[in-house]
Amino acid sequence: MTALTSAPPAQAWAEAFTRASNTDPEVQAHGKYFTCSYLLDATERTYVVQVESGRVTRVTVDPGPLDVAYQFAIRASAQTWREFGQPVPAPMFHGIWAASFQRDMRLEGDILVLMQNLRCITRQVELLRVVGSPV
Amino acid sequence: MSTSRISPVTGHYVTVDVDGLQYKVFYLENGPADGQPLLCQHTAGAHNHQWRGLLEDEEVTADYRVIAYDLPRHGKSDPPENTEWWKEEYKLSADHYVNFIIALADALELEDPIFMGSSFGGNVALQLAHRRPDRFAGVLSVEGADHSPGFYLDWWQHPHANAAQVCASGVWDLMAPQSPDKDRWKTWFYYSQGSEAFKGDLHFYSVDHDLRGKLGEIDGEACPVVMMTGEYDYLTTPEDSQRTADAITGGTYIDMPGIGHFPMSENHAVFRTHLLRALQVLRDKTTAKVHAGV
Repeated sequence: MTALTSAPPAQAWAEAFTRASNTDPEVQAHGKYFTCSYLLDATERTYVVQVESGRVTRVTVDPGPLDVAYQFAIRASAQTWREFGQPVPAPMFHGIWAASFQRDMRLEGDILVLMQNLRCITRQVELLRVVGSPV
Repeated sequence: MSTSRISPVTGHYVTVDVDGLQYKVFYLENGPADGQPLLCQHTAGAHNHQWRGLLEDEEVTADYRVIAYDLPRHGKSDPPENTEWWKEEYKLSADHYVNFIIALADALELEDPIFMGSSFGGNVALQLAHRRPDRFAGVLSVEGADHSPGFYLDWWQHPHANAAQVCASGVWDLMAPQSPDKDRWKTWFYYSQGSEAFKGDLHFYSVDHDLRGKLGEIDGEACPVVMMTGEYDYLTTPEDSQRTADAITGGTYIDMPGIGHFPMSENHAVFRTHLLRALQVLRDKTTAKVHAGV
């Protein structure tokens, strides 16, 4: 499993995540109104993911303080995200609810937007099991 | 295996009067009429299809009369027949929940039933053992604990979000990644149907249910308690259930690796191995009780 815990370069990860989401049958089947932007904060790296009508249109790697706006944030330690990147995550690292209730993940910002898009966000986060850790 | 494509599971309605309310309750059952009743409660915001695997489990239904009901306001059990329920917010209380289950057991004339419930059903199993150890041969508390705060959230019914999807995807992480996709998605599907009841159910689960400091009052000899919790349950963790079982006289805890908060619904094949063990524990305790002349 060592290959999966060493993260690919950030830009390569962003491209792989974009490709995985934009070709994922579930996101594409249910993403007609999946439009939002969020910060994926992995402590050592940050990404702003922008989605329009189910398609990831842009992933900004390590944005500067005023570079890109986002609506909500999913924050956790690098180690937590590495656990999310395992093919079969250990208990409590298998989703944003689990890790928020039991580990160091925090859901911040306009949580209503997260809830409005919860079905597809949940699927996107699970894609890390295939794409690998963002950090 | 039977060649018939008609399932042996049958459905019925029974009228239940409790606390001044009248309910028409739907239940599914399978097993011998004279078998020991195994009365099954689904999780909050769901319905009795969560027990679909158990209801057709030939080994269990050879001995036990499995009865899986829909709690009022869930599945095919309507809200009360005799009140204007739409004028009140639904907030399930421990008192009413316990009274309902007793009234249902009475209406069905069940003798020495075993009660089994998961999540808010696992918590009410503890309430039943605490309040009415005389009425049940034992309880199986699945994904239960003395206290389970934190899930009585407004998001389940927020009018600006899709409540069906919030409820269904909000409980998705309660299941283990190892559980089969088809069963996890059926569970998701059930949750997409129950958003109006989910939050009110969780009033019991996270607010009104609190047996902290009272577990020592449970008579685990009169009504044996077996607790079973999945490794991936982030709400009621294995540690929570273990702690609870340890504080109950004669309490038993069974750890369930590689499964989550909806074990009977997300992966019956794995769940049944633990259930068979739990039923054996109850049989052993009943035998010991008979030998002791209790």
